[in-house]
Amino acid sequence: MKTSIIRDIRAWQSFTMLNGLIPIFRRPLALVAILSTPLSFLFFVDIFSHGTQLLVGSIGGLIFTVINAATMLQSDLLFGKIDLKFQQMIATTGISPLVYVMGMATGDIVFILPGAIFFLGVIVYLTPVTVLDVALIIFAAFLTWVFFSLFSYMISRKVREMREIWPISVIFGIVFAVIPPIYYSLNSIPVPFQYFAYLVPTTFAALIIKDAVANSLGSLPIPLFVYFVETVLMVVFATRISDWRQQTI
Amino acid sequence: MVVPLLVKDLRKDYLVKGKVTSALRGLSLTASRPMILSILGRNGSGKTTFVKIATGQLIPGSGTVEIFGHDVISSPASVKGLISLVPQECRPWGHMTPREHIYHYQRILGNSREGARDRVQFISDMLRIGSFMDTEAVNLSGGQRQLIVVGMSLSAEADIYFLDEPTIGLDVITRKNVWEGIRYFRKLGKTIVLTTHYLDEASALSDEIAVVSEGRLLAQGTLQQLQNMLDYNTRIRIPAGFAKGSLEPYGKVVSESQYEILYTDEKRVEEIILSAGLLKTRIEIGPVGLDDVFISLVGGSIED
Repeated sequence: MKTSIIRDIRAWQSFTMLNGLIPIFRRPLALVAILSTPLSFLFFVDIFSHGTQLLVGSIGGLIFTVINAATMLQSDLLFGKIDLKFQQMIATTGISPLVYVMGMATGDIVFILPGAIFFLGVIVYLTPVTVLDVALIIFAAFLTWVFFSLFSYMISRKVREMREIWPISVIFGIVFAVIPPIYYSLNSIPVPFQYFAYLVPTTFAALIIKDAVANSLGSLPIPLFVYFVETVLMVVFATRISDWRQQTI
Repeated sequence: MVVPLLVKDLRKDYLVKGKVTSALRGLSLTASRPMILSILGRNGSGKTTFVKIATGQLIPGSGTVEIFGHDVISSPASVKGLISLVPQECRPWGHMTPREHIYHYQRILGNSREGARDRVQFISDMLRIGSFMDTEAVNLSGGQRQLIVVGMSLSAEADIYFLDEPTIGLDVITRKNVWEGIRYFRKLGKTIVLTTHYLDEASALSDEIAVVSEGRLLAQGTLQQLQNMLDYNTRIRIPAGFAKGSLEPYGKVVSESQYEILYTDEKRVEEIILSAGLLKTRIEIGPVGLDDVFISLVGGSIED
């Protein structure tokens, strides 16, 4: 008798394969498409700042790229649920919705991995960072991936048609990866707006990474703690509401 | 004995544009032993809603569904692994081959790599899909794609298979391959719940047939039992209007768009032909079949 953990690992691997590794080798153009926006942003940030904000642009690019994975996940989950009815088949297997979601999300990580490595490489190249700093940057990116993947799952639960998700994904990307202070400094906006910025989890991701690269680890514990708690709460909430079943009335 | 499927008084309402629409209005049916149970009904009769509830994807308003004694509604996790599903109007991933679909579905079910490969071969042989096992689904025909999903579902070693219109879009030969697969699983002692629009499919495959309409069960039994429910054993199909009004004394008359159907007793056929002047037109005479049972119960053909 297979244990549940082994079965979950096998399922996770397969979701990653079918949503990430297999399509990336057969449809590699998607890699270019995913990287095009953050690279374009980086290009303009570099041009308009005369090279002075390349580091900030790279930090923004890294977070934007991770958010891209979560945005892709919304479409992938919807596609599996509505178009293919694949989710209905998975629902009968005994696999938990969260294993399905995170397996699919890992598949999307495969698509953004080259971009994430590129931006991380630029950050490391531009500033003298320690191994701990790099670990913190990766941890912030990981929290971002977990938080927003689960957030995407919640959105996909409520959407009933593919057409509904396209505008949502665009707004999602702008609200969480463009407007918040990830491509600019939090201090460059008026104080009242800073409070609003704190409502957006990616603000904390940017703060963690900026503190790590600035070697100002003294101010790091607060954003790190807040973002970690937010992500844990998201995991708890997603686990509680996760159910294959729909209560339509 | 534990019953494979026991459905009691299942009700489900949907809210559509602020209006409550009842999909199921007290549906009850049973697969009392391992069997092929076909559920026949028109579009919107509640078949797919039932399948979604029975496979733990939809919460009903009220009623119970038990699979091998496990309550699907209160503890859906208890039936996982016992059931497998072909959803209605499903499709495979375009970028993957049939082999990859079945292999990864097996892995998702927890099978080892070797076990998954064996199962892929078994399904490939059973459904005779070996010739396109390594072709990306995007390059396959609609019927071949449908076979991939059927293959995935049948690859699961479940005890009860819910197949929601699994042969839609398949050509005659491919449909018969799927039928063979279904019969094979029946011989293994599995229960197959099949929803279909094809009356010939239900007639050819089913141990029992359940006719549903507007969310209720109208009748369930073997084909013979359902046919015996009719008061007549013979059907005469006559062009509409030809013998208008003169057929009622001989049995039950049902009007279709271009025909009238007279249900009667075979002993009266000769008398009817002579008395109603039917020698002057082309008529079809035959024994009553499942379509007649359906028309009699539902009040119209399944295509209406």
